Amino acid sequence: MSTVSTPHLAVATPERVALSLPVAGIGYRCLAWLVDATLLFFFWVVAYFLFTLLVSDVLGVFQGLSGLGQTLLVVGVFATQWLYWTVGEVFFHGQTLGKKALRIRVVRLDGSPVGVYESAVRNLCRAVDFLPGLYATGCISMLLTPQHRRLGDLLAGTVLVRDERIDLDKYTAAAPGDAGPGAGAATGRMLAPDEVELVLAFLTRAPGLQPDARRRMGARLVEKVGGLADEEKAAVLASPEATEAYLRARVRAGR
Amino acid sequence: MAAPLPTFVAQHRANWDALEALLARQREGTLTLQELRTLDSLYRRAASDLAHAQTFYPDTDAHRFLNQLCARAYGAIYQPPRERWAHVRAFFRRDFPRTLRRELRYVGASGALFILGLLVGALVVLWEPRGAELLVPSGVRQYVAQGRMWTDDILSVAPPDTVSSGIATNNLTVTILTFALGLFYGLGTMFVLVNNGVQIGAITALCAREGMAGGLLDFIAAHGPVELSIIVIAGGAGLMVGQALVDPGELPRGQALALRGREAVKLVLGCAPFLACIGMVEGYVSPGDLFPTWAKAALGLSQGGLFWAYLLRAGRAEAEATEAPAVSAS
Repeated sequence: MSTVSTPHLAVATPERVALSLPVAGIGYRCLAWLVDATLLFFFWVVAYFLFTLLVSDVLGVFQGLSGLGQTLLVVGVFATQWLYWTVGEVFFHGQTLGKKALRIRVVRLDGSPVGVYESAVRNLCRAVDFLPGLYATGCISMLLTPQHRRLGDLLAGTVLVRDERIDLDKYTAAAPGDAGPGAGAATGRMLAPDEVELVLAFLTRAPGLQPDARRRMGARLVEKVGGLADEEKAAVLASPEATEAYLRARVRAGR
Repeated sequence: MAAPLPTFVAQHRANWDALEALLARQREGTLTLQELRTLDSLYRRAASDLAHAQTFYPDTDAHRFLNQLCARAYGAIYQPPRERWAHVRAFFRRDFPRTLRRELRYVGASGALFILGLLVGALVVLWEPRGAELLVPSGVRQYVAQGRMWTDDILSVAPPDTVSSGIATNNLTVTILTFALGLFYGLGTMFVLVNNGVQIGAITALCAREGMAGGLLDFIAAHGPVELSIIVIAGGAGLMVGQALVDPGELPRGQALALRGREAVKLVLGCAPFLACIGMVEGYVSPGDLFPTWAKAALGLSQGGLFWAYLLRAGRAEAEATEAPAVSAS
């Protein structure tokens, strides 16, 4: 359950509360880049095919284009590759489409959104991070820095953080078939937060477990959280449903 | 004594959900003033809940959830000022030239490195002709051996448009690399500057030896001054980055780097539109015989003069007249 070992970005807010945000590792970043690169690639493929549908002689049209138009086109193509990242990061809350898909975002080291200059720096440095090919330099830098930043991030003072999907319902949701909530559960000492987390994690996963693993783990948790007498324990352990109903009631005992 | 975790969540959940809903609306930009005030007070409440969770429920999902929620709200409330067109105009009228004047030492150093390369390349070839075999690309050497300009051939094989667009992207790549390679403690930038200088110097010397200096001048006169200036300015930006790495002063390296990087990129971004324009000049004016050499040279010199006059003069009078308010206005 614990994520203490993964790197975090610590932010001190003016409200004197320390935020700590999980940093996106190299895997998330690679996947996000793949999504972005694929999108850009397909954009140009589709654009090309649309163009060939409209015009039969592509090469002829391209050569017949006025010199100015052609230069603008090529510079435009080049700039699009660069603008795509910067516009995404500045105007869409630090996320290009790929980052959005992977639920990661670019922020400054103090946790605030990036501005034009930061985004420009980190994206101009893609050229160096890409050396000598396939982001080799960037990947080495990500592996060596504690917060998985590539050279562009170091220069711009930015970092990628992860948005986790966290379900709070598990704390308050009632069991599907909540049989006998008052099975003597309200007695006993109060549970520590990590014990609550442990029991809740078991309860969410229980329906998918192998029957005997489910029974064994349920029994161990009952052992851990409840100071029950022998005959009570026997009643609770009679079936997995009874065990889980007891654990659920135990977790919610303090209400 | 703290309440059990489920009770804590159940008590405050409504506030958190309300804050989340407001943040979603804030992204769409459809908040009323009243809702904005609610957002602010809800954020403060969530922040105090987070402090509570840090103490009593560390490393639980509730703690992680609050961290994330507060970070989103923090990002929404403490946003950087939105850059608009007025900002872009101010950037080119004041910010960019002023930054360049402030960092003129780095641009000067970059220019010195480039000229050093130029001299080395030229002297080597003038002094020992066989040095050209080492320093000048073989393709160019073949043309020169046949007494032709390689640039003539580019034009006869491909239409001027392709030449221009190829040159434009090539210039962009060189400029970006010159700046970004400063990340290798400035060594990458120095290498690009000296290397480009040596190549250009060697080619010039080779052409001079073969009596083709006029042809070369004809090709580079129109775009050379501005283009080389831009490479030198990008080199100055790269050296700024390298200097921040080598000697970060009293700041930690990371912070010094981020601080200088933001200044350095202003130089690169400021050059971008000029680079695009000069790419077109290089594509249409420079090759071919459409314009006589003296016209190209006049064009190139006047462009270079205007470019540097802009860099050294723009926004200066304004800055002196309104020294104090200029900071708050920008």
